Amino acid sequence: MANERLRALEEVEKEIALILQCAGNIVLELSKDKHNASLLDRQLVQFQSSVTRVESELSTQIRYLTQVATGQPHEGSTYSARKDCQMALNRAEYAKVKLGELGRTCEVMLEQQLQHQQQQLQQQQQT
Amino acid sequence: MATQRVHSQSKESLLQNYNKRLKDDISSILDNFTEIIKTAKIEDETQVARATQAEQDHYEMHVRAANIVRAGESLMKLVSDLKQFLILNDFPSVNDAISLQNQHLRSLQEECDKKLTSLRDEIAIDLYELEEEYYSSSQWESTDLPLCEAYRQRDSWASPGSSCSSTQGDREDVDGPPSQETNPPHHLNGHGTASIEKQ
Repeated sequence: MANERLRALEEVEKEIALILQCAGNIVLELSKDKHNASLLDRQLVQFQSSVTRVESELSTQIRYLTQVATGQPHEGSTYSARKDCQMALNRAEYAKVKLGELGRTCEVMLEQQLQHQQQQLQQQQQT
Repeated sequence: MATQRVHSQSKESLLQNYNKRLKDDISSILDNFTEIIKTAKIEDETQVARATQAEQDHYEMHVRAANIVRAGESLMKLVSDLKQFLILNDFPSVNDAISLQNQHLRSLQEECDKKLTSLRDEIAIDLYELEEEYYSSSQWESTDLPLCEAYRQRDSWASPGSSCSSTQGDREDVDGPPSQETNPPHHLNGHGTASIEKQ
C-alpha cells in the first residue's frame, strides 16, 4: 500500500516534467514561421491534461494525509523478529562449523587407520 | 496533552501549507504560460517603437518562462516533501510494512530451526553408530577415558574461560572442542579423536 502511493508520487514527478516539456514545445512551435496546428493542439491537450492530473493527484494525497496523520512518531519496529532470525542464522552457522570439524576429525582418523594397516602389512611381508 | 495539541496543530498547518503551495504553483504555471501565449501575438499598433516593443516582449517572455520553471521545481520539492511525510506519518502502511517484515523474518527463523532440528536428529543417529564403532574398535582400551570425560578434561586444559556453547534449551547441546590440533597423550588414544558430547 505504501509502495503504491510512493509510486503514484513518482508518476506525478514525471508528469511535472512532461508539463514543462509540453510548454517548451508549444513555445518552440509558435516561434517558427509556419506552425504545425495539429502538433500545437496535441501538445496543448497534453499540457492541460497533465496539469489537471498533477493537481488532482497531489490534492488526493494531501487529503489522505490529513485523514491519516496524527503528528505522533511511530514506535513500531522489527527489531525482535530480526534479532531472533539473526540468532537462528548464527545457530545454523555454528552447526555448520561443528559439522566441518567432525568431518575433518573422521578423515584424520581414517588416514591414521590406513597408515597403521599399511605398516602392519609391511611388517608381515618382512617376516 | 499540550505537546499532542502542538503536534496536531503543526501537522494541520503543514498540510495547509502543502495545499497552498500546490495551488500557488499550478496557478503560476497556468498564468505565466497564458501570458506568454498572449505576448506572442503580434499587434499592428504599438505605443512604442516596434523594436522596443519586441525587446520588452522578449524580456517578459524570459521572465515568465523562468517563473514557469521555478513553479515546476517548487512542485517537485512539494512532491519530495509529501513522500517524506507519507513515509513518516502514513501509519496504516507503516504497520503493514512492519507486520509483513516480521512475518517474513519469523518464517525464515522457523525454517532455519526446523532444518536444524531435522539435522540434529540425523546426526544423533550417525553419532550413535560412530560411538559404537569407536568403543568396539580394537584401538580403544578399557583404561582410556570415555569420550565425554576426555572431552571435558580437554576443555579445561584448553582455556579456563572456554565455555560450552549451547543452542536453545529445547535442543541437545553440541559442544565443540576448542582445538583439533592438541592431543593429550595419556587420556585419549593415539588417534586423537575429537569428541562430541551429548548431554
